[in-house]
Amino acid sequence: MRTIVERHHDCDVLIIGSGAGGATTAATLAEAGHDVLIVEEGTWVPQGSVTPFSLEQMEQQYRSGGVTVALGLPSIAYTEGRCAGGGTEVNSGLYRRPPGYTLERWRANYGIVDFATDDIESICDEVERALSVQTVPGEQTPASDILSRGAGALGWQHDEIPRWMTYPESGRAADGRRQSMTETYLPRALAAGARILTEHRLDRLVMHRSKALRAELTSTTDGERPVTISFRDVIVCGGAIQTPAMLQRSGMRHRIGRTLAVHPTVKLAARFDGEVNTPSDVAVIQVKEFAPEISFGGSASHPGLVALALTDNWRDFGHAVTAWPELVIYYAAITSEGRGLVQSVPGMRDPIVTYRLTRRDRDLLGRGLARLALVMLEADAIEVYPSFRGAPVVRSRRDLAAMTSAFSANNASVMTVHLCSTAPMGEDLRRCATDSFGRVHGTANVYVNDASLLPDAPGVNPQASVMAIAIRNARRFADERSG
Amino acid sequence: MSRPSPLTTPVGRFADRLLARDLPHLEPRRRADTVVFIQARVDGLASFTRFGVVVISHVVDLLGRLVGASRALDIAVRVPLPLLSEYPRLVRSLGYTYVWETWPSTAVDGSTT
Repeated sequence: MRTIVERHHDCDVLIIGSGAGGATTAATLAEAGHDVLIVEEGTWVPQGSVTPFSLEQMEQQYRSGGVTVALGLPSIAYTEGRCAGGGTEVNSGLYRRPPGYTLERWRANYGIVDFATDDIESICDEVERALSVQTVPGEQTPASDILSRGAGALGWQHDEIPRWMTYPESGRAADGRRQSMTETYLPRALAAGARILTEHRLDRLVMHRSKALRAELTSTTDGERPVTISFRDVIVCGGAIQTPAMLQRSGMRHRIGRTLAVHPTVKLAARFDGEVNTPSDVAVIQVKEFAPEISFGGSASHPGLVALALTDNWRDFGHAVTAWPELVIYYAAITSEGRGLVQSVPGMRDPIVTYRLTRRDRDLLGRGLARLALVMLEADAIEVYPSFRGAPVVRSRRDLAAMTSAFSANNASVMTVHLCSTAPMGEDLRRCATDSFGRVHGTANVYVNDASLLPDAPGVNPQASVMAIAIRNARRFADERSG
Repeated sequence: MSRPSPLTTPVGRFADRLLARDLPHLEPRRRADTVVFIQARVDGLASFTRFGVVVISHVVDLLGRLVGASRALDIAVRVPLPLLSEYPRLVRSLGYTYVWETWPSTAVDGSTT
């Protein structure tokens, strides 16, 4: 890896961020012959060098150590990757193509041109080869078996979600190696001549009318040392929170940061008769009987996270903490009609993030949690511990009624890992921050190419959508700039 | 280099009292380590959230001087006021996560099993 120490840099294309959007953009443009410089705020942590979902990983690879929150009633905890490779280094690796009806909705409602479903599907084919997207060839974890068993007993639709993983000969799910951006697209970009500047934060883009002239950055490790970068074009790929904040700090406001979309989730911990917890892995089964409105899946279940899941009613749930090997955490995720705001504030390093759930969202969260608890009971859970203040221990179907009546979204520990739609793409100027290929409306050379572009939450794990759209846009950009 | 005392800040003092009450048999050294972790995570929060937590921590700290630390802790933990009730929730979440991630065999009262 080439490292850089100068205080001023020049490049043709500056890419801010190295996650699913930034890495694919960098590889596509570098391989097309562009002079690419990637800036990443976090460090380069080799895949496999820290234990997945551990405190150490949160410290090294998550923004704010994994403690970030969208304010509201209730507030929604979220996580952002802050490292080379971004969220792809730390997420569960589950892969879902964007559904055809979602692509159609985006095309029709936002006026996205040249956005044929077949073209996106074709790029998805490429991504799946590049990331070795596959199902588990061997033994699945007990957490997956539990979801299959519970949903199967109810006759509810469920299936295995493929992951971007390679597996050793054993084929065991827990032995998989994540094919994140530091394993795939970033090495490709560097091999094609791209450079990467890690541990630098973009303060702002200096604009002159519609054109960005240079970037002003700060080193996060070297005494806040200022750095400038001159470029022909800049492509911002910092994710759905940081991208709008960076654009706002640079004076761009139109439809930026106004329409944050997420998949809110509520959780429960379920206890079984025997050891079922695999701390370093998550279930690969998702229950899709009520999709896209409600989906169920498995969460990371390190002992610390099990304790966290029990804190909402520690007096009644706490006794279970020593039995953490017998507990697994699951989530119910919903598609939300609510929206949030990302607002940068002068003088503050980080933006203010807010999110408002609608009444329908709150009802769905309650229904989702009740149905998820039912899946657990059908899978022979001994006890179920829902994550909301005042929740009862659920041991039977009879207890579900008490749980449902006690549930209030305001008292729930709501969280999300899927953030998008803060700079939606399309030709409809009333709704969109960028054109159909990510160029910020009203600018000549400022582009966005990450989850911010998705017009709304896709209802499935969004990384495939982000990567496919980023590659599409980068190819268009390369064609235009070479022509 | 000596480790700074975790009890020099309002957040540190509050976390120490909360853990002492919730997990009475947690060894003092472990509790101190946990408080240091909580303080570090609060220091690393995003700007606005950190500001809010620091303001609330000072309010609770001041309340403790007026009505006594134990009574202030009771009020912070039990009064369901928006924002105020998020404060003990955050501190507790960070603390419990650290305790069971670091010493997974810890019992519910904090004792070592």
